[in-house]
Amino acid sequence: MTDMVTAALPIDLGSGPFAVTTQGLVRRFGSVRALDGLDLQVPEGAVYVLVGPNGAGKSTLIRTLMGLVRYEAGTVNVLGRNPADLGAEVRAGIGYVPEDYRAGYPWMTVGRLLEHQAVYHPSWDAEYARRLRARYEIDPGRRCHTLSKGQSRRVQLVLALAHRPPLLLLDEPTDGLDHVVRDETLSILSEHLADSTTTVVISTHRVYEVEPLVDHVGVLAAGRLLGQLPRHELHGSLLRYWADVPEGWRGPKELGGRVVQRSGAARAIEWTVWGDRDAVTRGLSQAGAAVREVAPLSVDEAAVALLSGKEAS
Amino acid sequence: MKIRLSQADGRPLYVQIMDAVRSGLVRGSLRPEDPLPSVRDLSSSLRVNPRTVSQAYAELERDGVVQVRHGKGTFVAPGVRPEEKERPRLAREVARRALADASRNGLALADLMVALREVEGGGARGDGRKEDGR
Repeated sequence: MTDMVTAALPIDLGSGPFAVTTQGLVRRFGSVRALDGLDLQVPEGAVYVLVGPNGAGKSTLIRTLMGLVRYEAGTVNVLGRNPADLGAEVRAGIGYVPEDYRAGYPWMTVGRLLEHQAVYHPSWDAEYARRLRARYEIDPGRRCHTLSKGQSRRVQLVLALAHRPPLLLLDEPTDGLDHVVRDETLSILSEHLADSTTTVVISTHRVYEVEPLVDHVGVLAAGRLLGQLPRHELHGSLLRYWADVPEGWRGPKELGGRVVQRSGAARAIEWTVWGDRDAVTRGLSQAGAAVREVAPLSVDEAAVALLSGKEAS
Repeated sequence: MKIRLSQADGRPLYVQIMDAVRSGLVRGSLRPEDPLPSVRDLSSSLRVNPRTVSQAYAELERDGVVQVRHGKGTFVAPGVRPEEKERPRLAREVARRALADASRNGLALADLMVALREVEGGGARGDGRKEDGR
């Protein structure tokens, strides 16, 4: 038996400095609000993961940051500029892996595509591009239209990383990659972070893969953020409490935290609560519960807890 | 230095890295003056954010376990005395985890103590890693 309680986590990351912000961003498709007054804050130097169900607006948001789609209301600031006015200028400073895995022009060889990109980006690091190409076992003689989804993704990652941009926007970067290449990509991203000063926004359904790389989390649903906070705060304050309780237990009036999700059987409860660990434990104990375990949630679990709470509202 | 991280562990990744270094010292696989992997290499092999490794090294330096030598890397501190400090500290950490596990299963400290002696008495055979001097 499970009942859910709507709760939102903090979404204000303070005063910055931010590499990317949006304020009140609205994007409609017909009568549907794909982005519904979104206040995104990506701190400079952060590795920010955007999680949320299909249709939550993740790709629309990233494409808006790239200046690829227009929006109806709100403001967008990417690296100090508005991509709606200065699209090309803003895009030059971004390494972008799009949701669409088709890279380049169909007839173009991969080698030609890389040269093309090198001319476009003054900061292109040819030696780095060569090393990435070798690690990804990319054949420069292949024509783009003959690439498989996974091969194409690898080419897109080289294109995004090799100019060492101040901002990386990665939309499902490991999509279509097999296990070995996915793992290699995570290692490449770790090294890239060690070698380059950059801010990263990753949108993914495979949060568990990138979780150790990530330091900020945004949970998106129906074009709105349900939470936007540093990962260590998420792990420190969104906790799952397992407790044994007497028959017919009602729970405390004042918990010292906000219940995100409740479930459990007759004499054992499992509550997910946003709040101070000691205060919540005390609250449960004083109400007669024997708290057996308190554990943090993975980003995946946190997203599921928040999203199922949201859907029940 | 071999480090395994677990997201299911519940402790922050930097704490797990710190404990892996401490455990290396206690087991003797890490000794004073030994170099630790660079932040770049360790983060790459663990697939973690380099800042997580930097944070672990910085905390270990604050605890006097390692020394960051600029331009050269991170080394186990020359004066580190694993038997006096790291061993009891690691033991407390293991104890905390054991107690949490016991509590989750509805067991008290007394149950755990009895069981530990029983298992140690009958279950130590074939375990090649019996600790010396104990």
